[in-house]
Amino acid sequence: MTTAKRTLPLSKRGFNFETIMWFFTRLSAFAMYAFMLAGVIGALIVSAQTKSNFGDVLRWALLPNVVTPNPLSGMPLIGILAKLMVLGFIAIVAAHGVHGILAILDDYFTSDAARGAFRKLIIVMFAIAILIAIYGLFFAAK
Amino acid sequence: MGLERNVNLFTALQYKGQGPMLTYVLHRIAGVGLFTFFITYIMALAGVGFINALYQNWLFQLIVLFCATFHAINGMRITILDIWPHLQRYQHKAIRVEWAIFWPIYIIAVVIVLRPVFGF
Repeated sequence: MTTAKRTLPLSKRGFNFETIMWFFTRLSAFAMYAFMLAGVIGALIVSAQTKSNFGDVLRWALLPNVVTPNPLSGMPLIGILAKLMVLGFIAIVAAHGVHGILAILDDYFTSDAARGAFRKLIIVMFAIAILIAIYGLFFAAK
Repeated sequence: MGLERNVNLFTALQYKGQGPMLTYVLHRIAGVGLFTFFITYIMALAGVGFINALYQNWLFQLIVLFCATFHAINGMRITILDIWPHLQRYQHKAIRVEWAIFWPIYIIAVVIVLRPVFGF
């Protein structure tokens, strides 16, 4: 079986929104794998250092407003780093997710008006998600 | 302006695209599932109380685990085939490898989730 060549020079690809987001979708997937790996390794290290439960560390990092005890209370700088990592992960997940939803919507809504409206809507959704995440991770923690 | 493609899910599933088509459809379904989970997570961060009860539900956990595991492994296959297009000729084999990786991971996850529920 022969496969058609898909190597198009960059000058002919057209660096528009779709091309950039195509790249971003692939790169953000790798970023998520890296965040997950770093998060699990980091949580294993700090749970060993603080003699706390690995699950408690992850639960505190991801849902600090729900889980009451802070297993990293003796390591405030590491705690801030963990929060920043979670925020970075949420930003990547949100961007990857809203673009995925946009790609699906584009398949079913073909008018320019609808597509333009959905683009604006996902940007608003992304911004709201990030704002809530900042609030939940840094300000609403018990 | 895009093409008019009025194809619903049922029609899409009848398409004889076999493995690649089914993984394409499943990738989208899992992606929507994960996005729904992401919204619930943001709601939990915002302080919506009932979300935490939802997270305790084993069926919800199994669905999220399926979506996350499949979407991650299938996404890795898609990315690898996109980066090295000459590997497209092996895409049916890649899908078989993907399922061979997915099922052991998912079965272990299912056992871990269900063990405390059913006490085995």
